[in-house]
Amino acid sequence: MKIKKSRVSDEIPTSSMADIAFLLIIYFMVTTTFAATRGLDFALPEEDDQPPVVEKEESVLIEIEPSGNLVVDQKPMQLSEVLDYLKPKLEVNPRKPVIIRPDGNAPYGAMAKVYDELRQGADKGVEVKNIAIPTQREIDRFWF
Amino acid sequence: MRLQATQTTPAVIPTASMADIAFLLIIFFMVTFTIEVDRTQVTLPKTVMRFEVPKKAAYVSITEGGQLKVSDGEQMSAPVQSSDEVLSFALEVLGQDPSKEFVLKADDSVPYRYIDETIDALKQARAKVIYLLSAQETQDDGSGSGS
Repeated sequence: MKIKKSRVSDEIPTSSMADIAFLLIIYFMVTTTFAATRGLDFALPEEDDQPPVVEKEESVLIEIEPSGNLVVDQKPMQLSEVLDYLKPKLEVNPRKPVIIRPDGNAPYGAMAKVYDELRQGADKGVEVKNIAIPTQREIDRFWF
Repeated sequence: MRLQATQTTPAVIPTASMADIAFLLIIFFMVTFTIEVDRTQVTLPKTVMRFEVPKKAAYVSITEGGQLKVSDGEQMSAPVQSSDEVLSFALEVLGQDPSKEFVLKADDSVPYRYIDETIDALKQARAKVIYLLSAQETQDDGSGSGS
């Protein structure tokens, strides 16, 4: 009688590897989303019960009306004119505070544009080092 | 004269490198894969200056209608009713990690009072940095003109 010897293959079966690899690729391609992951950083001051050292008269006040129009130190102004207005003031005092105060009904986009313009100042030779966006609670507590 | 036999090209697509390419693609997608913790649909404000938001940052999103959602950066965002709940959320997050960054994802046209209340809540919770999530402003958007 002839005894058959079963031989175990010494190769790793790789025939299904391509299928698995492409399934993984398809999974990652379908689930990958290109989310917006960039924005403007805004450092918050330390919460303090003491009134801020900044006095209203020493700072530049940029108000944003509900329509999105700007009023800088009581004067209506276009966004593109703000840095030109700030330049001589910042040459005298480079740490002059610039306060952004949007109306409660002003669109958020208007505030973002003003903040963006001030941040761009560094690239345009008008670096605004001291930008403040006080909240209504802070204004009620400390504004004078 | 002796004629040479015509050479026949085998009708086989070379697939030897297919596995390498497939695994390179898998590695690429695995490295770039991030779970989007907040899928709130908003029209972001457009800015020229934009910086990379840290991974795992906490999210506060505000829709056009003023609806609030929060996420600690690990779990999917969940709706909250008021800025007081944002304050509670921020206190909890900062209690675990005092240096945690926050991302404010708000609609371009949302009234500023909603932003004000949210920023105030984060200030009260002693958050250190907020990122105002924005889209890239291009030349076509008329950067710097008008208010």
